[in-house]
Amino acid sequence: MHDSVRVGVYVCHCGRNIEGTIDVREVAEYAATLPGVALARDYRYMCSDPGQELIRQDIRDQDLNRVVVAACSPCLHEKTFRHVLEQAGLNPYFFQMVNIREHASWVHEDRRAATVKAKDLIRAAVRRVRLHRPLERRQVSIHPDVLVVGGGIAGIHAALTLANSGKHVYLVEREPTIGGHMAQFDKTFPTLDCAACILTPKMTAVKMHPKITLWTLSEVARVEGYVGNYQVTVRRKPRYVLEDVCIGCLECIEACVYKQAKVPDAFNVGLSKRKPVYIPFPQAVPQVVVIDPETCIEFKSGRCKKTCVEVCADRKAIDFHQQEELKTIDVGAIILATGFQVFDGRRLPYYGYGAYPNVYTALEVERLVNAAGPTAGEIVMRDGRRPRSVGIVHCVGSRDVHTNAYCSRVCCMYSLKLAHLIKERTSAEVYNFYIDIRAPGKGFEEFYNRVAEEGTYLVRGKVADVYPADHDGRLMLQVEDTLLGMVRKIPVDMVVLATGLEPQADAQQVRRLFNISCSTEGFFLERHPKLAPVSTFTEGIFLAGCCQGPKDIPDSVAQAGAAAGEALALIDAGSIELEPNTAHVLAEACSGCKTCVPMCPYQAISFNETEKKAQINEVLCKGCGTCVAACPSGSIQQNLFEDDEIFEEIAGVLEYA
Amino acid sequence: MGHPILAPVESETCQLTLENLSRFPEGSELLSCIQCGACAGTCPYGDVMDYPPRRMIAMMRAGLLEKVFASDSLLSCVACYACMAKCPRGIRLTEVLLPLMKEQTLTHLPELPAELQRALQSTLRYGNPMGEPSRKRAAWVKTAGVPIRILAEDPRPADVLWFVECYTSFYPRGQDNSRATARIFHALGIDFAILGNEEKCAGECGRLTWEPGLFETLMDYNMAVFQKYRFHRVVTSCPHAHNAFKNRYPALGFNWGLDHTTPFLAGYLAQLKPLLRRKLSYAVTYHDSCCLGRQNEFYDPPRLLLQTIPGVKLVEMVHNRVNSICCGGGGGGMWLDTYFKAKGYERLSERRVKEAVATGADVLAVSCPYEVPRFEDALKVLGHDKKMIVRDVTELLAESMEGNP
Repeated sequence: MHDSVRVGVYVCHCGRNIEGTIDVREVAEYAATLPGVALARDYRYMCSDPGQELIRQDIRDQDLNRVVVAACSPCLHEKTFRHVLEQAGLNPYFFQMVNIREHASWVHEDRRAATVKAKDLIRAAVRRVRLHRPLERRQVSIHPDVLVVGGGIAGIHAALTLANSGKHVYLVEREPTIGGHMAQFDKTFPTLDCAACILTPKMTAVKMHPKITLWTLSEVARVEGYVGNYQVTVRRKPRYVLEDVCIGCLECIEACVYKQAKVPDAFNVGLSKRKPVYIPFPQAVPQVVVIDPETCIEFKSGRCKKTCVEVCADRKAIDFHQQEELKTIDVGAIILATGFQVFDGRRLPYYGYGAYPNVYTALEVERLVNAAGPTAGEIVMRDGRRPRSVGIVHCVGSRDVHTNAYCSRVCCMYSLKLAHLIKERTSAEVYNFYIDIRAPGKGFEEFYNRVAEEGTYLVRGKVADVYPADHDGRLMLQVEDTLLGMVRKIPVDMVVLATGLEPQADAQQVRRLFNISCSTEGFFLERHPKLAPVSTFTEGIFLAGCCQGPKDIPDSVAQAGAAAGEALALIDAGSIELEPNTAHVLAEACSGCKTCVPMCPYQAISFNETEKKAQINEVLCKGCGTCVAACPSGSIQQNLFEDDEIFEEIAGVLEYA
Repeated sequence: MGHPILAPVESETCQLTLENLSRFPEGSELLSCIQCGACAGTCPYGDVMDYPPRRMIAMMRAGLLEKVFASDSLLSCVACYACMAKCPRGIRLTEVLLPLMKEQTLTHLPELPAELQRALQSTLRYGNPMGEPSRKRAAWVKTAGVPIRILAEDPRPADVLWFVECYTSFYPRGQDNSRATARIFHALGIDFAILGNEEKCAGECGRLTWEPGLFETLMDYNMAVFQKYRFHRVVTSCPHAHNAFKNRYPALGFNWGLDHTTPFLAGYLAQLKPLLRRKLSYAVTYHDSCCLGRQNEFYDPPRLLLQTIPGVKLVEMVHNRVNSICCGGGGGGMWLDTYFKAKGYERLSERRVKEAVATGADVLAVSCPYEVPRFEDALKVLGHDKKMIVRDVTELLAESMEGNP
């Protein structure tokens, strides 16, 4: 077989990217001398049409049957060149790519050494490609349904986009209602349109849509399968109210034996109280009450008068015996839109949150200024007073190595918005204490200008300390006004902390559940920051909204649309080709030790109890090679990474030229 | 083709100076300063300094450092680590930049403040800033009421080498702390010994003041003494000595275990509890010392000890833990009171004591020997000395142990 091998080697200049540091001509001339190489060329841009045509022509005219391209990362162009081979009638896996850009020219300054390294890498590839065997891609069909996890604005928009194109969507939400954080906001920057007015029509549309199955109070418990064919188990927690029977008349809330609401209301961030039977907010979807078993007397003692059941009467919507249910669904693609959590102001004790009642988080103030909020839109502090002066502290828990090093992106703008709203409602003096104002969106700078002109005091400096001012019940903000170069102590009635955005507390569990990655700060990692911003490293799983990183509503919606588009592109193809670089067990050599079974990150390996051998499901296998390395008897082999290929490559790179 | 300002350090032994600062990681951090002003805003003297850290860094980047040296504003830095604790870029201001700047400021001064000069000279000549004779350093031992082994007399190996330090050896109210510590160690059955007259100041304030030469002399001396004896760990009553041993002495081979008395005793909570029989019906507020608190995050151990004393009710000041306000004694501030007063600055010990009195507590508890004289003095000046007393945590523990067989 080796005698008949004819390798073509192509060395790319990549403009100055490679040619600037590596003597490409010398490398090509060297490659031409290697055993088995029929020809070697260097060319300006191998990925260009003429570059590709060059290879096709050589395959035809020179009878090439193996190709090596030394250029950029295989992540970028391996597919391109495999396709070239295919077009010229060769098996696409008779190809090996050598990365002399990221691995040589970009990371070295010494031209001589980089050139030698490029030669070494090419020699290794030539030796390995001679052993390549023809491989076939496998086709699998794709289930047309989609799962969207998280019912905030991103999840809602993705679900509606998919459903409107005729796909069946399962929308799973942990809370009793969809709407997410956006439902808690009052106005939205920079246009000041009412959050509820633009969100609630979309929430209703979700409920009404024949193609959307909405499961609230539900969480994903298990994910199995692979791109196009995921089996997802969803845990549906009991609501203790029959969703399809309850009409949302809310009479049970009125009738509850608790005459006074006593439980902190999560939707109002604890600023108001609710009863054990409640509806999160007036426009909640589904428009159905929920019973909280932690505080309901019937659950605690079993001896409640059950006035709620009495008032519900013949409708019989209340069911104290409802049980948790596990539902398994088949979907082809998954969109994660699990959102964020707000930074806990208590972590910076010197801002006094939790210690001084008149220190608020921005989200609390969103509820205070909201007409549907705990004070019906009146800005009244915990001590009952109306503030005459308010200090808004930017960057709380953001841009700080002690908390989160990243910028939370939305706080500058929402702080300016709150400054405007507070001023409009109370005529209070409002100070914004900022490090930099970040207003890079459409209409943002104009809004910043508007708020400044309205007379908000903008003080450039990070607030260092918040403590009670002497005697008058006010709070002192201590800050260096860096533009004046002096330390100022400014007394205010109310302090608002512009707390940043953080990954959800259980982001790591969710990451493991869906087998995706997180970036260092804990947000879900996109496959490529520029070119695959909504994809993950797991095929068929996409990201939308703040679970990928802090972003505002327009960006969340745009990303949700993109994720829906990617999911559609996948599903509408009907089937998908799987790469053949999978592992397989050499049954006669397998001793049945089961070492490999728990090591597989994709649950692709099972144990055949009758034959006492391990088995790999090639559809699930992602070709990571863990089992190949772990097998004590060497009885697992992987296509494209067979032992002889790898040893030949190692020998090639170590052979001194 | 490295960026010139970030050129690699040529030699491992190369000393970090202002000129080559940017070649060390601690220095290149300065380039990341976002000029937010958190340092100036939190600095207890931020309102009186011409060049708080933010402006200093800006001047440095602009090549205008000479102007900073020409101002004496840096003398008011009390090395309290407050700016460093809140710097969002994690720049090591108190550890690196400020001592270097202070050194330069000093050389530009026409004359060193007399009180400070005396303290530094005395530390060099006698090993303590008060100028007391070093042969009297261990004189307090006779008054302790329990046996205390001095290694020069009995060099058998010891588990704990207790590094007593200066104020706790010479100053009468400081000796109360030492006597209390000795009694507690004895009652706990700890195998301990002290260096006695061989001990000299650990020198931390010298380094943080602007006298690196003095600090190195003391460090060489103390290390040579340590190496004469065999012991497992050093426990010291002084947070400043603890700071020096932890961060500077390891360069000379200090590799023994290390603790400050307060966290050390908190490790013996279970054994201490039955010994604390006498009820002390005090409301106590605890002042976090800068070196123990912000620098080492020992916020809970002193509070745990206080709460173990029967009858003690712990109340907090407005500024506590990471946000504590310095007593004004660090970084040489101990010997600059006259100088600050002449400048019209508010004394930090007075600012702190006002907060303590506002809690309504009977006792202001501390863990640093500098704080006892500073706060007692401030209480007198402000006329609160009838309302509130100052006690080291160890003194309160010993008081609660009284009457034990």
